[in-house]
Amino acid sequence: MQKTARAPARRRSGKFRKELPFHLMLLPAVILVFIYMYIPLGGLIIAFQKFIPAKGLFGNQKWVGWDNFIYLYHLPGAISALKNTVIIAFWKIILHLIIPITVSILLNEVRSTAFRRTAQTLIYLPHFLSWIIMGGILIDILSPSGGIVNRLLGLFGVEPIFFLGSNDHFRFTLIFTDVWKEFGFNTIVYLAAITNIDPNQYEAATIDGANRFQRMLYVTLPNMRMIIVLMMVLSLGNVLNAGFDQVFNLYSKQVYATGDILDTFIYRIGLIDAQFGVATAMGMFKSVVSTLFISTSYYCAYRFADYRIF
Amino acid sequence: MVESKHWASRLFVVLNYCFLGFLALSCLIPLIHIFAISLSDSAAATGGLVILWPVNFTLESYAYVARRAAFWHSMLVSVMRVLVGVGLNMVFCVVCAYPLSKEKDQFRFRTVYAWYFFLTMLVSGGLVPLYMVIRQTGLMGTFWALVIPGAVPVYNIILLLNFFRQTPRELEEAAIIDGAGQWRIMWQIFVPTSTAALATVALLSTVYHWNEWFNGILYMKTPDQYPLQSYLRTIVIDMKLTNMGANDWQALALVSDKTVKCAQIFLASLPILLAYPFLQRYFVKGMVLGSVKG
Amino acid sequence: MKKLSVFLALVLAVSMLASCGLAEDKPDPFGKYDEPVTVHFVRSTDDTLDANFFSQHPDKTMTDNLWCDLYRDTLNVIVEYDWIVKGGDEYDQKLNIALGVGDIPEFVNVNTLQLKQLAEADLIMPLEDVYDAYASDFTKKIMLETGTSPFDAATINGHLYGLPNVDSTLMIADLLWVRTDWLEKLGLPIPTTMEQVMATAEAFAKADFDGNGVDDTIGIAIAKDLWGQLFSLRGFFNGFDSYPGIWVEDENGNLVYGSTLPGTKDALRTLHEMYEKGLIDPEFGVKDGGKVAEATTAGKCGLFYGAQWNSIYPLQSCVNLDKDAQWRAVSIVPATDKPLKAQTDVGTLHWTVVRKDVKHPEAVVKMFNVFIDKNWGPNNENGIYYAPLDSESIWKLSPVVPTNPNKNNDAFMDLEQYRKDGDESKVTGEAYSILMKLKAFESGSEDGFALWGWERIYGADGAYGVLIDYQNKGMLQDNLFVGAPTETMTSRMSTLEDLQDEVFIKIILGEADIDAFDKFVEDFNALGGKDITEEVNEWYASVK
Repeated sequence: MQKTARAPARRRSGKFRKELPFHLMLLPAVILVFIYMYIPLGGLIIAFQKFIPAKGLFGNQKWVGWDNFIYLYHLPGAISALKNTVIIAFWKIILHLIIPITVSILLNEVRSTAFRRTAQTLIYLPHFLSWIIMGGILIDILSPSGGIVNRLLGLFGVEPIFFLGSNDHFRFTLIFTDVWKEFGFNTIVYLAAITNIDPNQYEAATIDGANRFQRMLYVTLPNMRMIIVLMMVLSLGNVLNAGFDQVFNLYSKQVYATGDILDTFIYRIGLIDAQFGVATAMGMFKSVVSTLFISTSYYCAYRFADYRIF
Repeated sequence: MVESKHWASRLFVVLNYCFLGFLALSCLIPLIHIFAISLSDSAAATGGLVILWPVNFTLESYAYVARRAAFWHSMLVSVMRVLVGVGLNMVFCVVCAYPLSKEKDQFRFRTVYAWYFFLTMLVSGGLVPLYMVIRQTGLMGTFWALVIPGAVPVYNIILLLNFFRQTPRELEEAAIIDGAGQWRIMWQIFVPTSTAALATVALLSTVYHWNEWFNGILYMKTPDQYPLQSYLRTIVIDMKLTNMGANDWQALALVSDKTVKCAQIFLASLPILLAYPFLQRYFVKGMVLGSVKG
Repeated sequence: MKKLSVFLALVLAVSMLASCGLAEDKPDPFGKYDEPVTVHFVRSTDDTLDANFFSQHPDKTMTDNLWCDLYRDTLNVIVEYDWIVKGGDEYDQKLNIALGVGDIPEFVNVNTLQLKQLAEADLIMPLEDVYDAYASDFTKKIMLETGTSPFDAATINGHLYGLPNVDSTLMIADLLWVRTDWLEKLGLPIPTTMEQVMATAEAFAKADFDGNGVDDTIGIAIAKDLWGQLFSLRGFFNGFDSYPGIWVEDENGNLVYGSTLPGTKDALRTLHEMYEKGLIDPEFGVKDGGKVAEATTAGKCGLFYGAQWNSIYPLQSCVNLDKDAQWRAVSIVPATDKPLKAQTDVGTLHWTVVRKDVKHPEAVVKMFNVFIDKNWGPNNENGIYYAPLDSESIWKLSPVVPTNPNKNNDAFMDLEQYRKDGDESKVTGEAYSILMKLKAFESGSEDGFALWGWERIYGADGAYGVLIDYQNKGMLQDNLFVGAPTETMTSRMSTLEDLQDEVFIKIILGEADIDAFDKFVEDFNALGGKDITEEVNEWYASVK
C-alpha cells in the first residue's frame, strides 16, 4: 500500500513545489480580498432585516424574510424603473462596445502621430468632468430655445427638440451623451490591444494585395477578438447599471416616466429614511442578475468562441 | 480598378481625419467652457453670459484658489494617494495576473483562484459591513483606508491576464531551460513585453484613485484629510433649494460662485491630463517590442 | 396658542419634585466643574467656516478656537470630536453608517428620525430632568420662542430625548421679489393682488428691457424644485390659500396635507394661464436654481417668489452687471378673500442627544446656557462670539448651536430704531455688524456696493421689514406636523411628492388637464396618503 502510494505522492509534491511560487504570488492578494471583500459579504443579511441603523449591525434587528424584496416589487414606479434601467443599460452596453472599437481602429489608421496623439488625449477629456458639471453644460447645449444642437438641426429643417424634458427623447439623450462622454476612455483598452498586434501581419497582408479596408477587416479586427469578447462579457455585468450619476444629474420630474432608473429610485426612497435593508435587497437583486448574465456569457464565450475570459 | 481604390482610400483618409477631428473638438468644448468661466467676472458667469471666451477677463478666481490652503492640501493628498494606491495596484495586478494567466497544466488551481477573485466583482456586502471591517482593521481615519481596501484591482487583473496569455510560451520555456524561476520569468519576460497593457491598467488605476471621492468623505476623520475629489464634491454640490436650514443659504451663496468652482475643477483635471501623454509613450514602445518579438 | 404640551406639564411636575429633593444643593446652570469634563461630539462643517474663519486664522482648529476656549474656561468642559465631515447630507450619511456599526458618539446632533430610532433602541437617555434642572431661565425662554414644537418633535412617550438646536421659522417664509426700476420705467405700482402680479409679469415680459429684440424675457421665474427658498412657488400658492408640502389644520382641527387643498387647483389653473401667455419658461422643469439665476442676473426676469436672503444670492450679481437695476422684496399677494398667510416650516433641524452611559449629561445643557447667554443674554458678547465683522461664521465653531429665533428681528428693530434716532451706541452685537455693512454700502465705494444684498434685507424698505409684518399681523402658517417621519411616510412620501410635482408641472405646461388635480388627490390618498394622514393625526393628538 505504502509503496504504491509513494510514487504518485512524490510526483504530486514535485508538482506542488513547481507551483509553489504561484501560490505565494497570490497569497497576499487572497488575504486582502478575503478581509475587505468576503468578510463584508456577511452584511448581506441586512437584506432580510428591517434594519434600523441605531440598533447596530449586531443589534436586535427584526427579521423580515423576503419582505424587503416584496416591498420593492410593490413600490409604485419600481417596475417602470426596472424597465428603464434595462433599456438604457442595454443600449449603453452595445454602444460602449461598438463606438470605442470603431474609434480605436480609425485612430490606428491615422498616419500622423501628432494628430493621433492629440485626438487620443482630447477624446478622453470629458471623462474627467463629473456629471454635475456636464449637466449644467448640457442644459445649454441641448436647450430647445437656442441650444447649439437644436440650431444645427434647425438648418436641416428639424423642429426644436426638448432633449432633456421630453419623454420621447430623454432615453436617447442619456445614452448618446454617456457614450460621448466615455468613449474616449474606453478606447484606451482597445488601443492597447491594437498596439500588441505584430506589424509583420500587416506587411504580409499588404504583400498579399489587401487594401486598407481588408487589412482592418482581416488583420486588426481578428487580433482584437479576444479583448472584444472579454470586454463584452465583463460589460454584461452592467445590465442593471444604467449610470446613477448621469441620470441623477440630468433627469427631472418631467421625465421620470422614461428616465427613472433603479438606483435613482432607491436613492429617493432612501432620502427620507436610511433604508439599508431595502438598499441591500436591491443590491443583492442586481448582483444575482449580473451574475446570471456574466455566467451565461462566460459559458457562451467558451462554448462558441472557445475562449475562457479568465 | 486601381484608380478607384486609390480614390476610395484617399476619401477615407480625408473623412477619417474630419470625423476624428470633429469628435476630438466636441470633447474639448466642455473644458474650454469651464476654463473660460474660470477666467471671467463672477457676475457674468452667474448670468450665463460666458460661452467659450472669458467675459470681463480676470484672474481673481485663481488668486482666490491660490490662497485656499484646503485645495492645495487635498491636491497633495490625492497625489500621495495616486502614487501609493497605483503602486500597490500594479504590484498586486502583476503578481496575480501572472499565475492566473497560466494554463491549467502549469497551475492546477488557477481556475479556483480566478473564480475566487472574480466573484468579488459580482457581489458586495454594502457600506455598513465594509465600514465595520475598515474600523476593525484600524484603517478608519487614516490615509490607508483610501488605498488598502481596494489594493487588489480584480477588473485590471482579468484584463492583464488576458494580455499576459498572448506572450508566446516558447519564450517562457526557453527561460526555464536557462534555469530561470517563475519570479524572474515574470519580471524579465512578461512585464517587459506587456508595457502597453501595463500602461493601460496603470491608467485605469490612476484615474480610479484620482476620481474616487466617496471613501474620502466616509473614512477620513477630518476634512483636511480629504483627497481632491472629495474636497471638490463639497464645493460642487447640487443646488438643493428645498430642505434648507435657515442659515444654509450662506454656504449656498458661497459655493455658488461659479468662477471659483470652475477654476478648481480646471486645476483638478490638469495633473491627470499631463500624466496621460506621459503614459502614451508606452503604447508606442509596446509596438516596437512586438515587432522584435516576431 | 395650544394647550400646554405634555412635555411642559411634565417639566413642571418634575421641577417640583426636583426642588423638594435637592433643596440645599441647587444645580448651577453655569457651574464650573472641579475636574475637567471631556465631551465627545461628532460634527459637520461647511465652506463658510473655511472661507470666513479658518482662512483668516490658519493656526486655529476645530478644537482650538474661542468657543472651545470659552467652554473650557467657564465650565471646565473640553470639547473633542470623534470625527468631522464636510457637508450636511454627508453628515447624515456617515452618521447613519456609524450608528449602523454601533459607533454612537457620546453627544450627537441628530434629526427626528435618528432620534426616534435611537430612543426606541434605548441607546440615548431622557433629558427632561437635566434640562429642567440645569437650563437657565433665559435658555428656557429662548428655547420656547418658536413655540413648543421643537420639544414636541423630540418627545417620545412623555420623555424628552433631545435638546432642540432651535432656529427661526420666520426666515424661510416666501416674499415676492420684484425689480422696482422696471416698475418705475413702466409706471406700474408695486403689485398687491394676484391680478397685479400677473399684469406686472406680462408687462415685464413684453417690455424687452435688455433690448435685444428677442422674446426671451420671462414673466415669473420658477426653478425645478418648485418649493425651495429661491424661484419658489410656495408664496404663489399661499395666495390661493394652499400650502404645498406642509400639514395644516382643516376646519375640524384635523391635519391635512396642504397640497391637496382646493386652493391648489386654482393656483395651478392660474399658472397654466400664465404659461399660455408665455410668462413662464417652458424649460423650468429641468432648470435648477443656478440655471434660473442666469435669467434674473442677465436682466431677463424681474419677478419671482423666494426667501429674504435672495438679494445676497443671486440678485447681487444682477446689480453688479447692471448698476441701474434695483430689486425689492414685498409681501406675497392674495388671490382670494381668505386671510393671506405665508407658509413656514420647522426651523429646528437638529436635536442634541446624549448616549445612555454618559456621566455628565448636564454638561451639554450648560453648553446650551453658555452659548445662548454669550450671544443673546443681557451681558452678551455677540460682537465677538457670534458674527464679528471679520469672521462671520464663528458661531458655528460651537458643537451646539441653539439660535435665538428672533435674533434677526431684533437686529432689524435695533436698526429701525437707529434710523429714527441715529444713536449708534445702542446698536450692538450682530446688529452692529450689519450696520457697518449698511454704512459701507451707503458710502458708495466699490467694496460697499458688494453689500447691496445686505441693504436689501436690513435697509429701510428691506425684506426683514416684510417678514416682521407677517409676524405682527399673524400672517404665518406653520407646519403643524413636526414629529419624526411616520411609518408610511418613510416608504411612500417621496413617491407621493414625485407624483405631486409631476402632475403639477404637467398641468402648468398644459400636458394635462386641470382635472388631473382631482385625480392626483385621489391617487395621493390611494397610494398611502390616507394612511399618512391618519398617522400624522395620531401624532398630532398625542402632543396636543
